[in-house]
Amino acid sequence: MVENSLTPLPERAIYGFVLFLSSQFGFRLFLVWAFVPESWLNSLGLTFWPQKYWAVALPVYLLIAVLMGYTTMLKNQEQKNHQEDAIPALRDIPISEVNKMFFLEAKELYTQNCV
Amino acid sequence: MEDERSFLDICGGPLTLRRRYYSSYCREFGLSSARLSLRSVTAVTCTVWLVAYGLFTLFENSMILSSAIFITILGLLGYLHFVKIDQETLLIIDSLGIQMTSSYASGKESTTFIEMDKVKDVIVNEAIYMKVIYYLCILLKDPVKPHEISQVVPVFQSTKPRLDCLIEVYRSCQEILARQKATSASP
Repeated sequence: MVENSLTPLPERAIYGFVLFLSSQFGFRLFLVWAFVPESWLNSLGLTFWPQKYWAVALPVYLLIAVLMGYTTMLKNQEQKNHQEDAIPALRDIPISEVNKMFFLEAKELYTQNCV
Repeated sequence: MEDERSFLDICGGPLTLRRRYYSSYCREFGLSSARLSLRSVTAVTCTVWLVAYGLFTLFENSMILSSAIFITILGLLGYLHFVKIDQETLLIIDSLGIQMTSSYASGKESTTFIEMDKVKDVIVNEAIYMKVIYYLCILLKDPVKPHEISQVVPVFQSTKPRLDCLIEVYRSCQEILARQKATSASP
C-alpha cells in the first residue's frame, strides 16, 4: 500500500460489502450446523461435517487463549521494567581506549599483562 | 633536547631512535636503520658475475658479460634510489599537523603532511602475520563527520620497529595530542 489514508474509495466499499456478506453467511452457517440435528442434515444429503463437539470446543479454546494472552502479556510488561542490571549487549571497545589502557596508564601493568 | 637510543626491528636488525624535543608542542622522532653493508653488495655482485661468467663459457657470447655489468650497476642505483630507506622521521607540531619523511640511500626524500584537523588519534595497532606485529598508525577523520574514522595511515613502514620503540613514540605523541585536544575543547 502506498499510503494509509482513510479516504472512502469505491474499491474499499466493495471490499467492505464482500466482507460483510461473507461474515454474515459464515455466522449463519455456523448456527445451522450447531443447532440442526444430524439426521435432518443427513436426509438433505449433507454428510461431511465436523463433529458437533467442535461447535462448543472451538469458542471455548479461543476464549481461553485470549484470557491467557492477557495474563502473560501483562506479566511480561511488568518484568521488562526491571532490567537495569542485566548483561549489556556486546560491543567493541574503541582502539584508542585499548591503547590508552595498555600503554599509557602504567608500564608495570602492561608488562604484567603480557607475561 | 636530543635523545638517542638503540632498538631492534622485527627482523632483528639494529635501529636507532633519535628524539628531538624542539619545544613543548613540537617533537620529532627519527628512526634510522642500518646502512647498506659492503658485504651484501659484494656478495650480490659476485654471484651475478659468476653466473654471467658461467653462461659466457657456455654460450661464448661476450654480450652476456657486458649486460651483467650493466644490470649490476643499474640494479644497485635503482635499489638505492627507490627501495633502500635509510631514515624515517615523524614530526608532530601541535595545532599544525604531522609530517612523515622517508629519506632514501641515494639522498631522495619523500614527505607526507597531514593537517591536525584530519588527525583523530595516533595508535599502536596489531597485525597478525606469522606472529603478531605492532605498527604505529595515524587515524584520520573527515572534518564533516568527526566521529568516524575515514582512513588509517601506517607509519615507519620500512624500518618496522618493535613494540618497545613504538611505546616511546606513542607516549610522546599522546602527550602532544592530549594538549591539543585540551586546547581545542576549551576555546
